[in-house]
Amino acid sequence: MKPIGRTLWVVPGGHIPLYSTGKEPRCTSNDSLSVLNATDRDAHLQITIFYTDRDPVGPYPLDVAAERVRNFRFNDLINPEAMPLDTDYAAVIESDVPVVVQFSRQDTGRAENAICTTMAFPGE
Amino acid sequence: MTEELVNWSGSLRFTPGRIERPTSEEELSRIVRRAAAEEKTVRPIGSMHTSSPIFVTDDILVSLAHLRGVASYDPGQSEATVLPGTPLHVLGDALHAHGLAVPNLGDIDVQQVAGAIATGTHGTGRSMQSLSCMLVGGRLLTAAGEIMAFSIEEDPEFVRAVRVSLGTLGIFTALRLRLLSAYDLRRREWCTTIDRCCLHLEDLIAENRNFDFYWYPRSDTVKLRTWNRPGEGPDDIPYATLVEDRTGPAHRMLSKSRSLKFHEMEYALPAKTGYECFERVRTAVLEKHRRNVGWRVLYRTVAPDDSCLSVASGRPTVTISLHQNATLPFWDYFRDIELIFVEYGGRPHWAKKHTLKADDLRPLYPEWDRFRKIRRQMDPGGVFMTPPLYDLLEGGE
Repeated sequence: MKPIGRTLWVVPGGHIPLYSTGKEPRCTSNDSLSVLNATDRDAHLQITIFYTDRDPVGPYPLDVAAERVRNFRFNDLINPEAMPLDTDYAAVIESDVPVVVQFSRQDTGRAENAICTTMAFPGE
Repeated sequence: MTEELVNWSGSLRFTPGRIERPTSEEELSRIVRRAAAEEKTVRPIGSMHTSSPIFVTDDILVSLAHLRGVASYDPGQSEATVLPGTPLHVLGDALHAHGLAVPNLGDIDVQQVAGAIATGTHGTGRSMQSLSCMLVGGRLLTAAGEIMAFSIEEDPEFVRAVRVSLGTLGIFTALRLRLLSAYDLRRREWCTTIDRCCLHLEDLIAENRNFDFYWYPRSDTVKLRTWNRPGEGPDDIPYATLVEDRTGPAHRMLSKSRSLKFHEMEYALPAKTGYECFERVRTAVLEKHRRNVGWRVLYRTVAPDDSCLSVASGRPTVTISLHQNATLPFWDYFRDIELIFVEYGGRPHWAKKHTLKADDLRPLYPEWDRFRKIRRQMDPGGVFMTPPLYDLLEGGE
């Protein structure tokens, strides 16, 4: 299979909703990434988080096995530190092999749940 | 100029007047005698994993790092005498080589054995006492600079006091430990929901040699951890997903390597209201702290003991630990939850974050006055006492 994706991706509009309704963890409000690694080599990702009023934090290491997809929530990132909820941020995702990155937000702060999703911006 | 010292998490920084690194009891004795003559204080340090200021001093800091290893062992009696500066993970391997093992360990094993014992460090398990209860004898360098041998056979009352004494009765130079024959444990980790964990909690505690759970504030889920001798304990936990399954020498299964640094507050609570307290903590975190708190909360059990200042003294115990990344603010979170712990009669871990002073602590420990009397007899001049320790152990008249 031809390599699919890029090694640099950007999510500029991050903001993990603070409030949730419904049964958790399924209904926990969250920002998440879906990462497809269609190559035959494991992908080693490094995510750097940028904020409006303080220095960037990272890298957050994350691995995606060869020929696998992995979903993870920004809410659960802990290394090097937990991200604040209800705070604007941007994420820069670097990978050592081409991957495809999709960003999603689930907001269950009100009973009428909202989900939006979009492709992350691919860098060069 | 003396170097600045920083504890494991980076929350404590201080520069002692000087740092001594004795290689023998005799050298340590000279250090303490000289300090007493100069009216200086002496504090021993271990691996500085402690995050309360019990070891902080402007005067003389004594590292016991050169006093390490197993001095003697007796597999027939399941005992060994070890040196104070031996890290727990080194101790585990050394004991294993002699067919011996510690009954239990905490989640982290980088502490030195004397520090772990003197601060009442513990693991989990309803029938498992704190590490301090391994101590049945040894040698102590007193404030007069003299070596004092002690044993549970000759003076059990003193052993009950010295087990958890924060280095205020003297400095351990040898510790005789009551151990077990070397054994294996099967360590398993499982993911499930908080509701299922709560529903089965009593069974999980009762049916496993060691059991604890982590609660994750950002997803309201839990990780269960069980340790049993091979062939013992439940075959399965049908309402949870198994994510780790390993078997090996006990000391290597009980602890896990931790590279990510964190601040920690832990309180020991009466077991009968432990889960009720946890639910109060969980609610408070979800309603007030989830914006800034992503790290897990740890729920463990400890068997009662009779050490004067053990957090499990005289009562079956549940401990609840709060964690926060070392790079993030923690006091607002810890202080708020501490109010709940105090309401439930909680006793703070001596080596972790808390704000209690002697007047708060005295009503929590039935043998507080007895310990204080022994401390004053052992160290009338306060050679081992610093301002933080006076705040912690004196007062409360």
